[in-house]
Amino acid sequence: MPIFSYLAIPRNDAKETLCADLATTPHCEVIPADNQDVIVLVTDTPDEATEEVLQQTLKNLQSLQSLSLAFGYDDNEKKGS
Amino acid sequence: MTTKRKGVNEVTMKLNRRRFMKYAAASSAVASAGSLFPGISFGDWKNISNNSGVVSWQKAPCRFCGTGCGVLIGVSNNRAIAVKGDPNCSVNKGLCCMKGYHSVQALYGKDRLTKAQVRKNGAMVEVPIQEALDLVASKLKETRDKHGKDSVAMYGSGQWTIPDGYVASKLFKGCLGTNNVEANARLCMASAVTGFMTSFGLDEPMGCYEDMDHANVFVTWGNNMAEMHPVLFSRMLANRKRRTNVKIIDFATRLTRTSQAADKSIIFKPQTDLAVANAICYEIIKNGWVNWDFVNQHVSFHKGKTNIGYGTEDHFAFTDKAESINLEEFKLFLEDYTPEKVEKISGVPAKDIKYLAYIYGDPTLKVTSFWCMGMNQHTRGTWINNLVYNIHLLVGKISTPGNSPFSLTGQPSACGTVREVGTLTHKLPHGVVMNEKHRQMAAEIWDVPVSNIDPKPTYHTVEMFRALDRGDIKFMWIQVTNPMVTMPNLNRYRDGALKDDRFVVVSDVYPTPTTDVADVILPAAMWVEQEGMFGNSERRTQHFGQIVDPPGEAMSDTWQIIEVARRLGFEKQFSWSQEDYIEKIWEEYRRFHAGPKHEMASYEILNERSGVQWPFVDGKETRWRFNPKYDPACTNGKDFDFYGKKDNRAWIWARPYEPAAESPDSEYNFWLNTGRVIEHWHTGSMTRRVPVLHNAVPSAYVELHPEDAAELGVVNGEKVKIISRRGEVVMPAQINGRGVPSRGMVFVPFFDESYLINEVTLDAFCPISKQPDYKKCAVRLEKA
Amino acid sequence: MMEHTERAIRRTVTIATCCFFGFLWLIGAAASSVSAELGDFDYQGDTLYRSYETTPEMYMAADSGDRNLANFYSLRQYPGSPPRIPHAVDLTFSGNETDCLSCHAKGGYAQEFGKFIPVTPHPEKTLCYQCHVQVQTDELFVETDWKSIPPPRLGRSFLASSPPPIPHPLQMRENCISCHTGPGAVVEIRVEHSARGNCRQCHVPTVQTEPLLEFVRKQ
Repeated sequence: MPIFSYLAIPRNDAKETLCADLATTPHCEVIPADNQDVIVLVTDTPDEATEEVLQQTLKNLQSLQSLSLAFGYDDNEKKGS
Repeated sequence: MTTKRKGVNEVTMKLNRRRFMKYAAASSAVASAGSLFPGISFGDWKNISNNSGVVSWQKAPCRFCGTGCGVLIGVSNNRAIAVKGDPNCSVNKGLCCMKGYHSVQALYGKDRLTKAQVRKNGAMVEVPIQEALDLVASKLKETRDKHGKDSVAMYGSGQWTIPDGYVASKLFKGCLGTNNVEANARLCMASAVTGFMTSFGLDEPMGCYEDMDHANVFVTWGNNMAEMHPVLFSRMLANRKRRTNVKIIDFATRLTRTSQAADKSIIFKPQTDLAVANAICYEIIKNGWVNWDFVNQHVSFHKGKTNIGYGTEDHFAFTDKAESINLEEFKLFLEDYTPEKVEKISGVPAKDIKYLAYIYGDPTLKVTSFWCMGMNQHTRGTWINNLVYNIHLLVGKISTPGNSPFSLTGQPSACGTVREVGTLTHKLPHGVVMNEKHRQMAAEIWDVPVSNIDPKPTYHTVEMFRALDRGDIKFMWIQVTNPMVTMPNLNRYRDGALKDDRFVVVSDVYPTPTTDVADVILPAAMWVEQEGMFGNSERRTQHFGQIVDPPGEAMSDTWQIIEVARRLGFEKQFSWSQEDYIEKIWEEYRRFHAGPKHEMASYEILNERSGVQWPFVDGKETRWRFNPKYDPACTNGKDFDFYGKKDNRAWIWARPYEPAAESPDSEYNFWLNTGRVIEHWHTGSMTRRVPVLHNAVPSAYVELHPEDAAELGVVNGEKVKIISRRGEVVMPAQINGRGVPSRGMVFVPFFDESYLINEVTLDAFCPISKQPDYKKCAVRLEKA
Repeated sequence: MMEHTERAIRRTVTIATCCFFGFLWLIGAAASSVSAELGDFDYQGDTLYRSYETTPEMYMAADSGDRNLANFYSLRQYPGSPPRIPHAVDLTFSGNETDCLSCHAKGGYAQEFGKFIPVTPHPEKTLCYQCHVQVQTDELFVETDWKSIPPPRLGRSFLASSPPPIPHPLQMRENCISCHTGPGAVVEIRVEHSARGNCRQCHVPTVQTEPLLEFVRKQ
């Protein structure tokens, strides 16, 4: 179950849009900064497949300029054992 | 079994770990942001609960015992997340106990009731709350129409807020015209009330908690204050430490933490407190320690009926008859209670009785007596209350700082709601239903025709549940209490509630054995999820606002009653709006208590302060009643004015010793005593959902004396069967735990619904107060 | 918590020293005008100086300083085990209870060790040598693989503002004051509010080595 956190930098003047976009993207938690155009994004996906789909979605966001990874964690235990 | 436990722990670990990982992830990102963008701030952490965001603190009284500590509830993101003691509250001055400090956790148990449920074809089905309220109203009306106005009943609670009780009383007594209104305080404080009424003509203590800062001797009469009123107890301990010449004497039927802390512990046989109290009076008179000045001016002597029964039969009725007696007759009466005679029946050495008498008799010692359930849950509860007042009255130690017979209250608002609002079958907010003037006052303030208010009381609590069993009551609405755990002789009353053609509505916050028998369950707002007021033991009313929102469809008990009242056609009397209904209700209720004997503070002042004592006259609290130095209601120009009685005197009652309803005999040879532990409140429906409290005492047990346990062949933790003529319970034994009963007695705490000890207890009660005796019945033990 | 206390102690000592020197200055400088007010009671000031000379600095700092959790657990084999005796004792099994209790029943300052004495929570058990082992050598007979669990963590309050629960079992440790109060107490767990008296009114036992139970309603 991969958990990642990023600093998401929006395109010029697109912070609100980016917030809105990310809020509607599944498996995402958004923490916008008060006084800078920076957003902390925490993702938590149940498996690799969903993680890949999520990566694609993020890449295709128009309002996103760059995404820098701050933290990664992958709990590889199988469920149900 | 070990593996299963391990598995559960693993899963919990994994879930906790994920939450922790996400938090760690967010923190890392924030940290990196901090180094890249100095001065950046992330104030809006909506989803992470561990942030040290801004917490707002709002005052409230504690949800639990009758001490009435002031707390500050910490709120963050509409969740209660912390508790501090309120330093501005004179009750506790910033200190709480373990229940208070963790109280807010009780709001968040996973099985919190958030949706209304209705019984359809035997199963409970979730319905929108408005639909459930429609059903409640229609069923109430239908039952009334078919079976008469007294076929519906309301059973409330000493944990009801004042507005809850007020609207219940107004609806049932004022509008529906039935006196079928009772509350669980009948099971907790009724004897204290009748004690006050018979001795003083007015309810509630004449002293206040400040007495503790002046007294030289504290005597606890059958109450385990260290666990039941812990904040008051630690104030006593602090006084003993800081001042010289302060002692604590514990007078009880078993050894408890209070006995451990006391300077002297005196054990008496159950029920013989009556004899010991009389023996103390005998000694006081014999040794010439009576304060004649006080007695001659302020006391009159009386006696009542004797051999008054125990109330175990349906329709039991009793009315006492007061007769004046003179001092000589009183002295003659006490001849049966010499310390030597009383030693034989009570097991208390004569010298200890004389010691107690000396303590009370020494004019240089200020004495405060504390009592609670040991004296109130008693088949002669009214009498023993009278007798302790007798002692204080003979020596004139009353209504002055430090000299205080103080009847402690168990529940947070038994005083504020049940006693002051009058949610008992015979009471009105001011006065009683039997009195025409009182009915007229109620009718005027309630805006109902005076003919609505029935002048005849109907049923007290035990009789009300008997009526439900018999079918004389067919509809009962239960709020904020758990009678299917707390009614004595429980089997009968549970079977009664389950009979066909009985409709039971239960408003509660968690599933309990009472919601299990309900036909409608209404999810209720809990404590600070609704605005309200509580009134504690020392006549202090405390207001709390709505600090967090109730979950799901949970609705304040007050508003539930208002919704039903409107559906029954009483929009006029219940016309308030949701924005300010509590304020309006308070101001309407306050009118009943106008005057220097009971004046209550305005809504505005209650909002500002951390509790206001009544009488609140000209902006000042009356801390000691009946003493003109402190009480503006005194008018007789003397140094005391007991204005509750027509002769302006306090009444001494000659009350004899009479045995318990069911004493141990050859077949059932043990006493059964029940009570609480500090960790758990009443039936545990709230405190068991607080992790730390559940963890400290996860399940109930039966305390045995080590020698009795040895004879039974039982060691700590082994199962014991407790059998009475009414039922039986199997539970694990506890030997040499926090409490050690005397030989021939067992003690069981009643917080655990898996061990319904009230199936074993007896529904005998004090014939005057109708309060059952939970401390004494006969059982036998078997190793299970 | 230890640092805070240490800092507090250092601050106190500094202030005390400053006051002391300030006092000296006051005495020296304003002798003429002040002595008239101090009157007859100014000639016994030497008792302070004598006491200052003879009282060890450790005592004046009112903190043994080195009794911290690390020391505490170093004397124990696992959390909850009886500590071994860290100082020399009479080797014979004399069973003479008054010897140990003469210091450990009430605590105080031990000149010979220059430390504050820990107080026993169980003075009624007088056969000390039954459980508390003397140390005669630090050498092991054979290397050991012994490991135990970490000691309980401090301050694990359930809510941000609530009093921390009691993390250890109460057996033989029901007297909170003996271990948590006074100069002989372990610095990290020393409290100054024992004067409230009824510790278990606020502090709930939640033994950290036990699983945390959750209430589940039986249907």
